[in-house]
Amino acid sequence: MNGVIVWLHGDSLSPTDPALLANPGAPAIFIFDEPFLAAAQLSFKRLFFLYECALEAIAGRNGSIRRGVVVDEVRAFAAEHQASTVHVTDSVAPRFQQYVAELQTTGLQVVIHHPPTFVSWRGEPPRRFSAFWRRVAEEALRPGSTGPELPSEEVE
Amino acid sequence: MQLRTDLQTREEQAAYLAEALAGLFEGAAQPSPIRGGRRAALRRLRAFNVQHYARTRNDVVQRGVSLLSPYIRHGVLTLAEVRDSILSRFGHTPDTEKFVNELAWRAFWQLVYAHLGDRIHQDIEPAKYRTRVPRRLLPPEVMSATTGLVCIDESLRELYTTGYMHNHARMWVAAYLQHWLGVDWREGADLFYRHLLDGDPASNSLSWQWVGSTFSHKPYIFNRQNVERFSAGTYCARCPLAHNGSCPFDDSYENLAWRLFGVSLAELEGRR
Ligand SMILES: Cc1cc2nc3c(=O)[nH]c(=O)nc-3n(C[C@H](O)[C@H](O)[C@H](O)COP(=O)(O)OP(=O)(O)OC[C@H]3O[C@@H](n4cnc5c(N)ncnc54)[C@H](O)[C@@H]3O)c2cc1C
Repeated sequence: MNGVIVWLHGDSLSPTDPALLANPGAPAIFIFDEPFLAAAQLSFKRLFFLYECALEAIAGRNGSIRRGVVVDEVRAFAAEHQASTVHVTDSVAPRFQQYVAELQTTGLQVVIHHPPTFVSWRGEPPRRFSAFWRRVAEEALRPGSTGPELPSEEVE
Repeated sequence: MQLRTDLQTREEQAAYLAEALAGLFEGAAQPSPIRGGRRAALRRLRAFNVQHYARTRNDVVQRGVSLLSPYIRHGVLTLAEVRDSILSRFGHTPDTEKFVNELAWRAFWQLVYAHLGDRIHQDIEPAKYRTRVPRRLLPPEVMSATTGLVCIDESLRELYTTGYMHNHARMWVAAYLQHWLGVDWREGADLFYRHLLDGDPASNSLSWQWVGSTFSHKPYIFNRQNVERFSAGTYCARCPLAHNGSCPFDDSYENLAWRLFGVSLAELEGRR
């Protein structure tokens, strides 16, 4: 039981997800959150967009897209792959924090990855955007790289 | 339940997903013309020309905007990647700086969400002014995009068919629903959230609160002149209500402040 799986969620649904990049060979799972979606009744367009994102995120690996209770499905997937560790990318959503806590109580180790920062602000923000912008503008306007490689025109 | 990942065409995938996710969505099983995935995101990023962004971003017809929000919202592109790509290709100009400033709005709302959690779905501050219009539930003509107001109906129709709405149109619709119709912002936010491909708890709820003044200094309002100016006159030209004198937006800001909130514009804007 020392394998690793990657759990993808709707806040980081990309082949460049940091948890995926850190674990090139690991199986990956995305779950349509059944109780949440049954209550939210989003439009099909949204769910299809997520499906397209998920398909591309797991392409070329041992990947799985499921419908169910997120924590149960992650646990089952981990068991299928003899994994005791789940890698996932951080999210500020309270539901995400809750699922991580639930996974931990079931004995799985959860390793949280972080996307590249836009600005390094931590903690309580000011009440108004203008005050925030004044304090972060300089950093926000400083590029950290040249950005992702873009496809050439012919690819289309 | 395990979903298939081997279907090739979009049509096959959509038909399959509609069955696999039965019970979990509302309305027709029609995908958006906007494609998901990293490849589509990078194509969009490459296609976006930020020149003239500052001047054209508010125009709902010219649309000098990036259309990147669905990808950014789902982490298919990060704010840092988008910023880096734009600054390295277009340099530091008033347009690129305005664009990065808009990216920062998302970063700001995310930080507020990280701090307040689900409390973002309740009034964060008391409303500075509340509309005098009586409270009502979301009317059916909003759900069917048949209010008769072309600026509102076109915006809603785009939302329902593509899952996108221009930022300025979002502001109009959110202000119309709250201040003119008396709909609770949570109901409007819920409607947007169900349809927007970029639907995000933080950006959505906090923007609605910004329009309503429970997370800003004053309620946001607009008038017909604003619609004319930022739609190159096209909406009003086609709008029957604009020609028979019953456009609810056809007034000065001063009069609208009195009509909607019972105060002067100076009071509404916190200048008195
Ligand atoms: C009532 C209302 C509800 C909204 N709900 C959402 C939502 O659910 N999700 C969402 O991403 N945005 C929301 N917005 C903000 C904004 O309308 C969209 O981000 C923008 O229209 C997306 O189009 P674009 O990518 O072409 O924008 P561009 O002008 O090209 O901006 C580039 C990126 O910056 C970010 N951005 C720009 N403006 C804002 C803003 N005001 N707030 C937050 N981020 C911004 C987005 O990530 C956007 O993709 C809402 C605005 C209003 C008024």
